[in-house]
Amino acid sequence: MDSKQIIMEQLITEVKLKLIEALNLDGMMPEDIDNNAPLFGDDGLGLDSIDVLELIVLLEKNYGIRIDNPAKGRQVFQSVAVMADYIANNRTK
Amino acid sequence: MTKVFSIGTGLVTPLGSTVTSVLEAIREGRSKQYFSRNGFTGHSFFENIALEAAQKAISGIEITPKTGFILSTAKGNVEFIGREDISLALSARRIADALGVKTTPIVVSNACISGVAAMLQGMRMIRSGAFDKVIVVGAEVQSPFIETGFDCLKAISPEPCRPFDKDRQGLNLGEAAAAMVLCADEGPWEIVDGVIRNDANHISGPSRTGEGSFKCLRYVLESLAKEDRLSFVSVHGTATPYNDEMEAIALDRAGLSHVPVCALKGYFGHTMGAAGLVEVIVCMGAHDMGFIPASKGFGELGVSRPVNISAQERPASGNAIIKLLSGFGGVNGALLLRKGGSL
Amino acid sequence: MKMVSIASGTDLTALYRKLVGNYPKFFKMDTLSKLGFLLAEMLVADDSDRFTEREDRAVLIFSRRGCLANDLNYAKSMEDFPSPSLFVYTLPNTVAGEIAIRNKYQGETGAFLLEGYDRPQIDEIVHQVFQDRITRDAIVAWIDCPSETEWTAQAWIVSK
Repeated sequence: MDSKQIIMEQLITEVKLKLIEALNLDGMMPEDIDNNAPLFGDDGLGLDSIDVLELIVLLEKNYGIRIDNPAKGRQVFQSVAVMADYIANNRTK
Repeated sequence: MTKVFSIGTGLVTPLGSTVTSVLEAIREGRSKQYFSRNGFTGHSFFENIALEAAQKAISGIEITPKTGFILSTAKGNVEFIGREDISLALSARRIADALGVKTTPIVVSNACISGVAAMLQGMRMIRSGAFDKVIVVGAEVQSPFIETGFDCLKAISPEPCRPFDKDRQGLNLGEAAAAMVLCADEGPWEIVDGVIRNDANHISGPSRTGEGSFKCLRYVLESLAKEDRLSFVSVHGTATPYNDEMEAIALDRAGLSHVPVCALKGYFGHTMGAAGLVEVIVCMGAHDMGFIPASKGFGELGVSRPVNISAQERPASGNAIIKLLSGFGGVNGALLLRKGGSL
Repeated sequence: MKMVSIASGTDLTALYRKLVGNYPKFFKMDTLSKLGFLLAEMLVADDSDRFTEREDRAVLIFSRRGCLANDLNYAKSMEDFPSPSLFVYTLPNTVAGEIAIRNKYQGETGAFLLEGYDRPQIDEIVHQVFQDRITRDAIVAWIDCPSETEWTAQAWIVSK
């Protein structure tokens, strides 16, 4: 793996850990979350509208990214991979 | 079944502190959500406006040993959190004591339907025979606690709210106090029936099928007498994308899509624990003056079912009004009011 | 009349795993809601037709301090980033909603705040709630929760 991939891997693991904590996903470990699995809806982790809002807070608190509307949030939070990618491209801290 | 009537009301709102002045402001299309606290030298502004509203309502009415007291509020004195005991029951006791109430006060804190829930419980208290009057007070003041909360839920509109409108973006917060005295003696308005139903779906989002609201409407409609004519339905109408859509579905399922609908939060904002009482008292007053208030902020219908809502004032006919509300925790409530002396 | 209670300071996660174990939403709840949820579970776990939608059972919460413990947590979060998942529990009736969602109770839910535990007053209020034409019984809970580790929590079912 080159250094860019390593950084991305680390970010993905970090995002998973923060997600587990922020959303009270008790007992889950990063290895339990597939990078590309849908986060919302019945097939995914089954997250809901409050979780979207909590993830919006997570992004601002940890990465300085502001998302003003929940609809945009749903797009960004489709999967951990999409989320990590968005963070890498938009983070201000 | 004992009939229960409203025999006295009181309003304390940023738009005005009498029913007449508030209706005048409404007819002029004015709105105001926040009080000015200039000149307030007391401690709890919340308790102050609640007491003031109650005093107006009981003016000329005797408080007996069998007079009950209910306080309706979501957050009460929360602005003092961490600094003192903000228990709502404590606030209720202080207000009840100041009024001279001798019975043990209770607080109904059922999110944004609290006002309807409190009037319903007051009606039940009279019907139980244990109380001859019940003073019901609803009050809410805003604070950073509440404002940051609705803000982080992205529920607040950046502009004046637009109930049922296709471009609605959310709610405005407001503050107010209102009070009503219930009694079995004949009064200008009868509280005929009321109901609360839970969607059992989500703790903060409304049911997509309007389940609880529909059940509430269905329940109170059963208490309409053959001779009754519905004048209008006063909706919750917070102007969030989901609430108004849900209410439209519930109204339609209940067969009420043709009945005039009135949304008042464009004038007061969402006054939470006070909303049920403020909006009912305003509706009764408007009906008495022969009109259905314009639904301020509404322009073009933006829900999936037909709703008979208007941006213009309309003449009121009929003799009955339904008040509909919804709130966090999946709660929905409805109250049926009938013009007194008409049957 | 069946009455259940949860001793102050009980490990609620352990109790959840023992009684339920497959309802991950439990971990998002505040302490008040966890207590109500578990009390209800203890009362209705053996109900036949459990999880069938019904309109005839009310859920009534009585408390003195309501959601204060959670409100303090929310106030803390206001210091930097107000938390949506905490804010939705800053109401004393949310616990009744959680019980309703879990058990598909589409009847009346309510929250009443009293100056202290007063069983005669609670019984009187419940009796008044029974004026609802459809309601046939009620889960009644007294939960007073000044902090996340200390509480009084008891509940019972009473019929009309």
